[in-house]
Parts: sequence; C-alpha cells; structure tokens
Amino acid sequence: MGVDLGSTSAKAVILDESGAFLGASAIQMGAVSRAGMRRAIDDALDRASVTLSQLTATISTGYGRRLVPDIGRTFTEITCHARGVAALCPGVRLIVDIGGQDSKVIAVDEDGLVDDFAMNDRCASGTGRFFEVLARAIECEVDELAGLAMAGDRNLEVSSMCATFAETEIVSLLASGSERTDIAASVHRAVSARTLGLIAQVGKKTPVVMTGGVAKNAAAVHFLSSALGVPVDVPPDPQITGAYGAALLALETSGTVVSRPDVEFLPTGQTAHSCGNCDGSTELHMPTVRMS
Amino acid sequence: MSAPTLGKSNKIVIPTATNMVGDYWENLFTAKERGKQVVWYNGSAVNPVFQAAGLEWCHGEAFSARLAAQQLEKPAQLAGEEYGYIGELCSYARTHLGCAVLTKQARSEDENGIVGLVDQQQLASRLPAPDFFVNAYAGCSTGQQWDEISYRVFGKQVPIFNVSLPFLPSNKPDAGYLRGEEWEQASRYVADQLHKLIAFLETMTGRPFDWDALRQNMSYIKRASELRREAMALCRAAPTPATYWDWIASIAHINFMPAGPELVQYFADVKAEVQYRLDHAIPGVRNERYRLYFDGIMNWNKLGWLSRKFADADVAVVCGRYTHNAFWQEPHLIDTEDPILGMAQHYLLCPTNHGVKTLKHLTNRDCVDYGIDGIVFHASRTCRAFTNPQHLLAKSAQKELGIPSMFFEGDVADASFYKDEILESRLAAMLEGIDVRRSRV
Amino acid sequence: MPSTFTQAMLTMSAAADSPTDYVAQWKRTTGRKALGVFPMNFPSELAHAAGVLPVIIQEDREPITVGRNLLGEFNCGYTRNVADQAALGRLDVYDGFFHADHCIQLLGAIDVVREDESDKPVYFGQLMSSMSDDWAFPQVLGKMEDFRSELEKFAGRPISTADLARSIDIFDTNRRLMRTIFENRRSGDAALTSAQLQVLVKSSMIMDKEEHSELLRQVTASLNFVPRNDRIRVHLSGHFCHAPKPELLELIEDCGAIVVDDDLFHGTRYVSTDIGETGHPLEALASVYLRRNTAIPCPTRVQHEADWDRFLVDSVYASGAQGVIVLMAKFCEPHMLFYPELRKALEAKSIPLLLIETEHEGLPMESIRTRVEALVERIRRKQLSTV
Repeated sequence: MGVDLGSTSAKAVILDESGAFLGASAIQMGAVSRAGMRRAIDDALDRASVTLSQLTATISTGYGRRLVPDIGRTFTEITCHARGVAALCPGVRLIVDIGGQDSKVIAVDEDGLVDDFAMNDRCASGTGRFFEVLARAIECEVDELAGLAMAGDRNLEVSSMCATFAETEIVSLLASGSERTDIAASVHRAVSARTLGLIAQVGKKTPVVMTGGVAKNAAAVHFLSSALGVPVDVPPDPQITGAYGAALLALETSGTVVSRPDVEFLPTGQTAHSCGNCDGSTELHMPTVRMS
Repeated sequence: MSAPTLGKSNKIVIPTATNMVGDYWENLFTAKERGKQVVWYNGSAVNPVFQAAGLEWCHGEAFSARLAAQQLEKPAQLAGEEYGYIGELCSYARTHLGCAVLTKQARSEDENGIVGLVDQQQLASRLPAPDFFVNAYAGCSTGQQWDEISYRVFGKQVPIFNVSLPFLPSNKPDAGYLRGEEWEQASRYVADQLHKLIAFLETMTGRPFDWDALRQNMSYIKRASELRREAMALCRAAPTPATYWDWIASIAHINFMPAGPELVQYFADVKAEVQYRLDHAIPGVRNERYRLYFDGIMNWNKLGWLSRKFADADVAVVCGRYTHNAFWQEPHLIDTEDPILGMAQHYLLCPTNHGVKTLKHLTNRDCVDYGIDGIVFHASRTCRAFTNPQHLLAKSAQKELGIPSMFFEGDVADASFYKDEILESRLAAMLEGIDVRRSRV
Repeated sequence: MPSTFTQAMLTMSAAADSPTDYVAQWKRTTGRKALGVFPMNFPSELAHAAGVLPVIIQEDREPITVGRNLLGEFNCGYTRNVADQAALGRLDVYDGFFHADHCIQLLGAIDVVREDESDKPVYFGQLMSSMSDDWAFPQVLGKMEDFRSELEKFAGRPISTADLARSIDIFDTNRRLMRTIFENRRSGDAALTSAQLQVLVKSSMIMDKEEHSELLRQVTASLNFVPRNDRIRVHLSGHFCHAPKPELLELIEDCGAIVVDDDLFHGTRYVSTDIGETGHPLEALASVYLRRNTAIPCPTRVQHEADWDRFLVDSVYASGAQGVIVLMAKFCEPHMLFYPELRKALEAKSIPLLLIETEHEGLPMESIRTRVEALVERIRRKQLSTV
C-alpha cells in the first residue's frame, strides 16, 4: 500500500504482488488530517477487498507521511510522484504537480529517476488556492471554472502573484464590467505563468505530464500547454499518482523487482472532477497495469 | 479599487522629439551591422566618455526600464528565471541579464528553453552583443557585481573594466553634501579611475582618446542639465506646470542620449513648454489640491497607471529623489575645459550613494523648496538600495517638517509585486489627514 | 561520534548564544572597550592590537519588531535583525562600530545603528570590491592605514608594528586550530556535527582569541576520530555573513545527510587563510584581503580570475561530497546574482544540487525535511540504478 497524506487530501493505493491495482481512495479534508488518512486507508482496503493484516509493506509520503502508523519507511512526494508517473506514462521527462496549496515540478531522466525538482510551498501563488479565490470572487463552483475559462477570449492582466491581491484585482475587473469568462481565462493564464516560472527552475523538458488536483481542470491543462507550447498529458486520476508511486516503492522495497509496467498511455481530455464533495471521497478510474 | 482615468493629467509632450529615444535604440540594434564597437554598462552615465571614444553604448538598466514601461519585459524575465535568477533579485538586473541570455541564445541559434524562438524575436533579444563591459556603479553593491555576472554569462570571453565608486557614508564630522574631506578624497579617487578607464578604452579601440570630443560632449550635457534644472525650478510654483512623471519621461534623454545640439534643444523645448504653461496658468494636474514628493526608484511597469491615478486624486506629484537628485543634477560642478573631476563628482552623487544623513538633508530641502504636503514612498520590492533609508527619511520629514508619509508596494520592473489596493487606501488616508490638518490651521 | 560536550564546548556555546553577556563580562574584567564589527572583511587583528575586543555582530534570535519599520521587509534577515538590535538597545554594550564591506543592505542597517547609537563612533573604511585591478592593493593598504589611525583614536592608544604582528600571530594560531578540525572533517572524521563546528567558529568571532584558542585545544585534545556512517555526503554552500540556524544544520544531518565540507562564513571561509609573517603587518593585512578571495571566492567581490563555481566543483571532488546544499539567505543579492553560474557548473558535472532559502523568522521544518530527503532519495536511487 502507498499512502499520500498531503496538505489538503489523503490518498491510498493498494497493489497486489504483481503490481496490479486492487483499490484506491482519495479523501478531501482541507488540511493534514489523521482522520482523513484513516478514512482513505479504510476506503481503499474496502475497495480492494483486503484487510490491513494482509498488507506486506506500506510506504507513506506527503507532508503528513510521518503521521501514518505501521509504515516500513517513508519517501518524499517528489520520489513517489516521479515513480508513479513514470510507471503510468513511460518516457515522461517533466512532471508538473499542482495541488491545493502547493505546487512542484519534477524533472526525471530516461529511467524515470528524479533528476531535479522545484517546489513552491510557501504561498498560494500558482496553486489550487488561486482557483478557489477566483471561484469565490466570480461566484461560481470550482468545477465550473474550466468551462468559463475556455469560453474567455480577452486577456485581462491579473499580474499580482499574491492570491489576496489578485482577488482585489478580480473584484476591480468585475466592477469595471469585465466578463466572468474573460476573468476566468486571465486567472488561468496567470497561474500558468507562475507554473512556467517553477518549470524554469528545472528546465523545460518533454513529454510533460500534469498531476495533482488542478490537473482535473481541463482549462488549467490547456493554458499550461499553450504557455509551454507543447502537449501536456494527464493520467486518468491525477490526484493519486503520489500514492501509486508509494505503493510501487513498497513493492520494490519488499523485494519485488518491478520492471517497467506495460501500461497503455492514456490520452488527455479527461473532464475535471469535483474536489468539493462534502464526504470528501471521489470515484477513481485507474488503468489496468500489466506487468511485462 | 478603481482604474485611473485619462481625465486629469496633463503630460508634457515635445512633438519634435517623440521618437528620440526609440530611434536611439533602433539605431543601436544595428550597431554590429554598421561595424561599430558596442560597450555594455549600467549605472553611472559614463556615456559621454564612450561617445568621445567613438563607441556605441548600451545602458542595461535603461533597456530594462524601457521593456517594463512597454510591458514587454516578460520574455526577458522568464529567460532570466530559466537561467536561474530568483524572483527576489533586483528586477533591473534580472531583466537585463535575461536579455543577455536571449542575445547570447540568438547568437548561437540555441532554441531550447522556456522562451521559444518566437519570443526571441521580440524586443528583449535585440540588444547587440557587447565588445566589452564597463562597470561604474555607485551606491548599490548589486550594481557593482552586475556587470561581472554579465561578463560570466558571456563565458568570460568579453573584456571588462571596473571603475570603483566609493560610498559616501559621512564618517567625519565635517561631512556633508558636496563638502568635507571625505567628499574631496572620493572625488579625486574617482577622477583617477576615469583616467584609467580612458586608458582602457584606448586599448579597446586602438586609437588615442579624443579629449576635445569629451569637452564638447560635456559642454552640451552641462547646458542640457542647466535647462532641465531651470525647468524643474519653475515647478516651485503652485499649481505646478509639470509633474514628476514629466521628469521621469525625460530621464532617458539626460541619462544616455548622445550629447549634442539635439539634446540641448530638447531640454530648451521642455523648459519653454514649462514656462509657457506657467505664463498661461496651465497646470500639470487639472485640479491640484495636494503636492507630493515621490521617493524611490520608478515603478516602470505602472508608469501611465500611476500618473493618472495620482492626478485623479487631485495630487500633483511635483518632484522626487530619483529625478531631482540624480542625472547631472549639479551642472555647476562641470568645468567644460577639464570635465573629469565634475564627471567623477556626479557619479558619486548617485541618489543611493549617500548615507542617510545626506539624504535627509536633500529630501527635507526639496520638500521645503517645492511646498510639499506629503511624501509617497515607493517601497520597491527588489531595489533595496533605494528603499534602505526610506523609513528614516519618513521619520525625519515628520519630525523636522511635520510632513506625513505613506508607503506603497511595487517594484522597478516586475509587475507581479505591485499592490494597487495598498496604494489606493493609503493615499486616500494620507490625503484625508492632510485635509484635517489644513482645516485646523 | 562523540556526543558529550566538554566544559570548553559549553563555554564557547554560551558565548555564541549570548554574545552581549560575554562582552559585558569581558569589559567588566578588563576595563577595556569592545568594538562592534560588521562582517566580513574588517581587519579585527588591528582592533585587537589596539587592545580592544573586536566582536563580529551576530544575528540574534529575537523576533524582529521595531526593525520592521526601519528597513524594508525584503531586506535580508540579518540586516533587519541588526536594525532591530540597534533600535532596541541590544548593541549598547559596544563602544563603537567599524566596518569595511560594501553590501548595500548592510549599509542601510548601519545607518540605523548610527541613528540609534549616535553618541558612539561608527566608521566605514570601504575596501574596494573589484579585486583584479592593479590599484586594488594600494587602495586596500590605504584603508588599512585609515583603520589604524581611527582605531588609535577609538582606543586612545597607539598601535605599534610589534603589537600588530603579535595580534596577527594570535589570530593565525586560532585559525589554524580550527582549520585542522575542518580538514579532519573533510578527510572523514565525523566527531563533531556541523552545528558543533558552528559553535567553534561563532564563538571565535566573539571571544578573546587567546582564551578561545585555549578552549579549542581542550576540545581537540578530548576528541577521538569517529568514522562516518553511510549517510549521503553533502557540501554546504552559502551564507556569507551570518550563521545559518543550528536547528537547520541539525535537521539536514537528521534527514540522511552528513556535512563533509562547506564554504560558509561561519565555517571554512572564516578559517581558510592565514595572514602570515610576510613583510610589514599592514601590508600583510591588505594582502590577505586579496588572497582570501582567491582561496575561497566570495560573490560579494568582483574578481575576474577567481571562479566560485569552479571552486565549488573542486571542493566537491576533494571532499567526496555526493551533493551540494546551497543555503541562501532570502534576499541576499550577491548570492542570487551568482547562483545560476553555480547551478550551471554543478549541472555540467552532474553534481546534485538543492537550494534552501533561509529566513530570520522561523524554519519551515517539514518543508525543508521534504526537500533534503528528496535530495538524499534522488542520490541513493541513482546509486542503486547504476549498480
């Protein structure tokens, strides 16, 4: 099992000894939470029809990784995301992970190993929080943002890197009669610009894969792809790639040699999922992983 | 928060010179094709020396300012970020070094990177590659290291010369503005450095230095500066005929346009226009109710925005440290027959090269001379040289003159640091405070 | 690895943690003056020769309060903290302040010191930072002469050539003792943690040198060689004028890394270069300013033929470090300016690099832990993959 206890959500993935998926779960809690972690684990075990005692190895990752009980060891989410995405999207060279309140960029080599990384976990600049601010300001649900942004065609500059001041810029635009679609598009563009800055720290490499909650927003993916000038792909459930990578590492560290799995590379165009369910759980769609 | 209107500001435009600066840059971009040697420099206005040596000169900061003012700075800043410059670094340096990276990439047709080939065709990558660097930067220590870094970006393949300009800390009791042992010693030291610079240029150009040309250049610059200062002095009148934003618009001219009759004519025209407005009661701001001083380096990304915003609030920003205590501001020091010492002294008079004792004197003097009601401090995020003394200056103005201050956040060339809400609310609060004080008098 | 502190370590820690207490006690005992010195290149040997105690002003641990309205929030933590110390009277124990370095942010902080300690002498003798020029040595020598006459006024007594030669010898001895410890670490001795090494250097910047050298001898006499374990070997680079927080050093070494070398000011930079007995002592002081930068280039200086990036790569090869952790004080301009050259040089040699920005207020422990562990994991996994 791999457990990713992040800043706003808890994810768990269970694999069998061949690396095939048995079950997975993602719980939105809004903050690092032991309760959320327990729910994610219980939910994944339930879906996998497996009990806790049947697990032979568990690796935890994410900010709360040391809170997870009975773990073999931990790995950082950098290593786990790289491992997971490299398995799901063989040949990937750049991973862009944008979460609720942090973002990171990981450059991987041809073997899927981490070459370099850059993180922003100091402020909301360029993270999912920016989109929450936008949704609040233009009075819509977060999952409506993608549709609005794709319909926008004017570039209204939203230049402040600070989410608080960006909100005041948005209010000003609304007051001067700007369309919500154009505002939404402009904020998406601003987030892409911030992400570009983070990518600049490790260097632009291709192919590019986007993960994290924000990857479920098709407009965010589209605007980043435009800014980079290259296609950006998204795995089927981009939120659990860290937990998946942790599970693969659990397999490796328990002695099973995991060769590169024979995974069909799934295309982009997935619609965004809601991140705001009050019970926190989301339905997941995972590819079948066949071991070669 | 409100977007500024066009209604109330009344900027000075010299119709015969609207393209002077643009033409200068367009011409510079073709320097290599014309077989000219190009020197890259920042900071001090050593360009009259370059001009006399037959060189073409590229002032890095000025180019960064131009990009920012035209909202074209992003490709350069992104190229800089990709190269590894962190966003908290002086954005002048970051922008210019980004241009250096783009220039170098364009030269080697290197297409890799965040900033794709399309962007490289933009303004940011058009600077001609340097034949050598001259660093002559007073005040800011970043400035003194900046050209060294450009030198390394170009792989240490291009020669560099450093003019060391000492800081004026007011160590001694007799130290003061334009006086004291420290001032005299520093002046002589820098004059000696300038002679060494000229020897370096002779080596680079392979020809003897044209001292007559330097004397002539400095005669023009001295005259241009006198006209500029005379025009500025006319703004002691209330309402002021011209504003700080007008002086900002003519920084490029006084700072690095070629010395010659055209430059003198430009400032003669500026002075004539200011005089005309004074004579015909045409104010710089339609309804001047407040006169403010602007301290700090210019926020180039928001040039037009800020000038309209203050005018909307009936504020005439009359003068500021960056415009009034820089750029050949003491022309009487220049002896046109032997200009080196006067030039050396001007390089020492960079507004970030003084300890706070001198800066308090200059700020308070200007506030009295121009009848100032309040001070706006631009707390530029990445320019610490300018922001260093600001809190102490604010306290001094309040204590010595009873003048209130406000601070707003922005930056010299990075738009993402500007916070409009802070400016809006604090300006309104300061003006209300001024109203209250007036009502009590 | 030995983990018990001798009494010497406790004494040095006390001075490092509370410099003003040490200075106050020293003044009471000796009846002499204490000189506040700002980093990095002021010739403390000259002050020592005048019979005063030169103390390099350290960042202290108090949260910045008044300092927030004296310098911009985007000044580095050290300079804002210095402004705070001055404004709140925490520098009152010093009888004067001298400095030699031109960092514009530091000059801003020292202007605050001038305001708040206005009855005390504050003297700036600017050593030119362009080191490659023929006129650099004469300029620096001239400044050393100025420093001598100003120090004589401050101390109220002359400084003889013999006094200065003696002080130089005392300081060189102290440097040599510390340098041996650093060389041992480089060669594989893990007896002292990097936090402990910082105590040695920091207390040297504060204490009477002869007293400090005696304490160093006591420490080294009680140490036995301790071999390293299998933690990933790292070189720490950065922080040119104030000390990184010891908790940060401890955290790094708790995350699977061991520091085997550094080029921190509170580290190898402070001890690298002896003044020696060459020529007239004032000329020796001027010469060491230039030689020190050739030995370990500092990005606050401009020296065309000294490449900090190349030095760093050479250091990594010499120590066997497997990666570099750059500790960058947030808002430190010279560091930000040079950093891309470092990154380029390390990338060209495939040397893993991690950048950690540090601040005065707070240490985001989990955030840094994640980064350091990710670096360690990265290095280990590549090691495994090449087996």
